[in-house]
Amino acid sequence: MNPTVLTILISSLGLGTTLTFIGSHWLLVWMGLEINTLAIIPLMMRQHHPRAVEATTKYFITQATASALLLFAGITNAWTSGEWSLTEMINPTSATLALTALALKIGLAPLHFWLPEVLQGLDLTTGLILSTWQKLAPFAILLQLYPLLNPNLLLALGILSTIIGGWGGLNQTQLRKILAYSSIANLGWMITILHYAPNLTLLNLILYIIMTLTTFLLFKTFNSTKINSIASSSTKSPLLSIITLLTLLSLGGLPPLSGFMPKWLILQELTKQSLFIPATIMALM
Amino acid sequence: MAARGLLARRGPGYLAAGWAVPGPGYLAAGWAVPGPGCLAAGWAVPGPGCLAAGWAVPGPGYLAAGWAVPGPGCLAAGWAVPSRGYRRPGLPVDNPPPWSRLHWDWRKGLESVSRHWGLLREEALGRLRGPGGRPLRQELLEQNRVLWQAQGPGSLKYWLLSSDQEIGGRSRARLSVGSNGRTALLTGELNTEPPRDGETRYSGYCSLRSRPLKGAFDLKKYYDLSNFNTLYLRVRGDGRPWMVNISSQMYFTHQKDDLYNYFLFTQGGPYWQDVKIPFSKFFLSSRGRIQDNQHPLWLDKIHTIGFTLGDKVNGPFQLEIDFIAVCNDRAHTEEFAYEKYKRNPEV
Repeated sequence: MNPTVLTILISSLGLGTTLTFIGSHWLLVWMGLEINTLAIIPLMMRQHHPRAVEATTKYFITQATASALLLFAGITNAWTSGEWSLTEMINPTSATLALTALALKIGLAPLHFWLPEVLQGLDLTTGLILSTWQKLAPFAILLQLYPLLNPNLLLALGILSTIIGGWGGLNQTQLRKILAYSSIANLGWMITILHYAPNLTLLNLILYIIMTLTTFLLFKTFNSTKINSIASSSTKSPLLSIITLLTLLSLGGLPPLSGFMPKWLILQELTKQSLFIPATIMALM
Repeated sequence: MAARGLLARRGPGYLAAGWAVPGPGYLAAGWAVPGPGCLAAGWAVPGPGCLAAGWAVPGPGYLAAGWAVPGPGCLAAGWAVPSRGYRRPGLPVDNPPPWSRLHWDWRKGLESVSRHWGLLREEALGRLRGPGGRPLRQELLEQNRVLWQAQGPGSLKYWLLSSDQEIGGRSRARLSVGSNGRTALLTGELNTEPPRDGETRYSGYCSLRSRPLKGAFDLKKYYDLSNFNTLYLRVRGDGRPWMVNISSQMYFTHQKDDLYNYFLFTQGGPYWQDVKIPFSKFFLSSRGRIQDNQHPLWLDKIHTIGFTLGDKVNGPFQLEIDFIAVCNDRAHTEEFAYEKYKRNPEV
């Protein structure tokens, strides 16, 4: 790709997320999300491969739907309450609509069906941006909206995402799809605790981004997209193979690795809130 | 043959609406003689030979194109005849009302339901076994996999046969079991004379394509061949240049005509030919036209594999297939055989 165009697109990605971070008006926040979507579309299609085009088209359709829903939520809230501010979402319908839109944006179950297919159609670098950077802006909105959202709905989305992310990743041989289901599962954990301890959501998000970044970069180093090629990676670089193992275990939440920390704290918080059944279900998944 | 079965259940109202004349079996069952509407619409009255043998009558398109009514010997020998007949471009499409196509059969319905639930149960159990219904150990250690092997008449159901007869051409093709019962024999005759419809300029092809995989409730499935890098065929040809086509599963209809092709030059001798074609050699074409922007074949979602003959030579052809397999050739490290030069500078 032309370096100038690449610079513009990456800058736009940064601009979009920054706009969403700093915005408190619904329109500005929505604009930031749209800039993000539009900036990543050409990046996804860099290869011009039919599968990349297919993934890009699917991504565009889902993100456009989510953006429309989000805009509708903001406008409905402004219409009923007269407030455009993000934190003044009095209308519960608008809040639920906004949550649905953001769930579609980030790929929470049951709105997750697009994520494995889209990630499978992309190269590892663009998949990395999609899995990490593109999650920041929606979570910025969720972290501002969390007191106004229905806690039961958040719990339901979270538990469903954890189950589907955990079981969907079984029997996968394509690494990008495994990472997509891992993303869904981790997002489930984040959403579950959002209402009760948003600081844990933020901690989980930061750790998830670090671990996913590491995993994608490792797969990029090995140039591998399926488990067979990872299986023979120890001959290429034994040290990186060990790091891959540890990173994947950390992503799965195995103690004493750092990926276990957010899960432990979330389970602890759920127990403090007397949510024993959700905590049990999530611990089992 | 299925068309005759369908016709058997149609009432005389279909004759008045211009449907094909049923064979003698139906006359014996009490159906009426074709009414004048049939003849006025151009349908031929079946000759006595056809009726005596009980064959279905082809549509008027065949007669307009100059073909005789296929004799019973043709159909008995298994020649492919398009079931709906040839419609000359420009003529109005037969548009029967939807309820006329409904065919209530409780037994078939129940069989279909039990088949689909059985497939669903197998898929669920397959997920417990491992990826793609196979153990993970097999997935990790697999070096070769036989996708299809000729094992009698039942294995021919895997294939879909077509030729230019569907567009009004004169080629013929048939798929049968080889002489020893353990191979599939694709034979026929290619005829490059285009149909006389004023539109088609080229003709003369025959195509054998695998049926798309369908799961429970006709869900689309695909072959995941990402562990392999070479296509391994055991064929015995006739010296003609065939083409191997692989299509990968697409989501949007814009890409439904995308095919990855490579040549299969057959030797034609009495000896079997082991052909190994790396997947990196396949080039992208769409509707038969080789694309300028070439891309490698992604092996994680393979839809169908097929063979095509279209070498513009009139005459008989024959291709015998023993098996189609894929293997992992560790010595082959090429990712894609074709370099992409950009003719215009990037802006």
